[in-house]
Amino acid sequence: MRNQPPLFELPERHWVCPNCDLTAVTRELGIGHRYHNCKGLLGLSAPMVLDGTKAKVEAREREDYIGKEMVSYADRDGKAVPVMSIVTTRDEGQDCTVLAPVAQATSE
Amino acid sequence: MAWSASKIFCVFVQDAFNRTSAYDLNADTFKAALYDNDITPDQTVSSANSAYNAGQWTAAGNEVSDGTEWDAAGEPLTGVSSSFSSTNYTFDATDTPSGGSSATLAAVFGCLVYDDTVSDLGVCFNYFGGSNSVTDGTFTIQWHANGVFRIAL
Repeated sequence: MRNQPPLFELPERHWVCPNCDLTAVTRELGIGHRYHNCKGLLGLSAPMVLDGTKAKVEAREREDYIGKEMVSYADRDGKAVPVMSIVTTRDEGQDCTVLAPVAQATSE
Repeated sequence: MAWSASKIFCVFVQDAFNRTSAYDLNADTFKAALYDNDITPDQTVSSANSAYNAGQWTAAGNEVSDGTEWDAAGEPLTGVSSSFSSTNYTFDATDTPSGGSSATLAAVFGCLVYDDTVSDLGVCFNYFGGSNSVTDGTFTIQWHANGVFRIAL
């Protein structure tokens, strides 16, 4: 069977990270963001932004007591910081990724 | 009162053990509905009051949604898994994004995860730790590395 040329090609999307030097190119459908473990953002799994988009990506600390909650932490200057969400602020809007704690039951 | 913690509904465990409700965590459809801070989630409520749009989870005045961007009654969980590792049972899912990229949502404090297949009964609720919002963008729930909920035995 001969190799057939694709009927159409998905457009390339070029991604950059405002907080580190990682770049990526994808060809995929959908509106989702590309995530990476960002060494420039406390090691969190953070969204990248499309190349050419003016944006900042910031981690927001949890606003409430942790108690027995199993939350996500990031390392800031050797100190574990509880992170609630990662916010991407663009000229025309804002994205938000919440880091949901796990609901847990223990035998302790 | 208000949100204070993430919990599994006690009655969810009881109903599963007693086969009162025919949950299938491998196959049912689950959804995550967003809520503001006007509610006081309680893990000890009855089965009926754990359900979406009942008790504390009444949608009117409490649920946060935006058309098809984040549907009223919630977005579906995809990539659901139900498994044991060592002595930890974990119910997990792929991260849950908004239905579109132009969602506007304000004062999102947490979500109700419920079984859309079994009478919308509640499974657990997850407290995000404060007020979150999004403007003309994408809202995503990134589930914890230990899952949506976990039972350690």
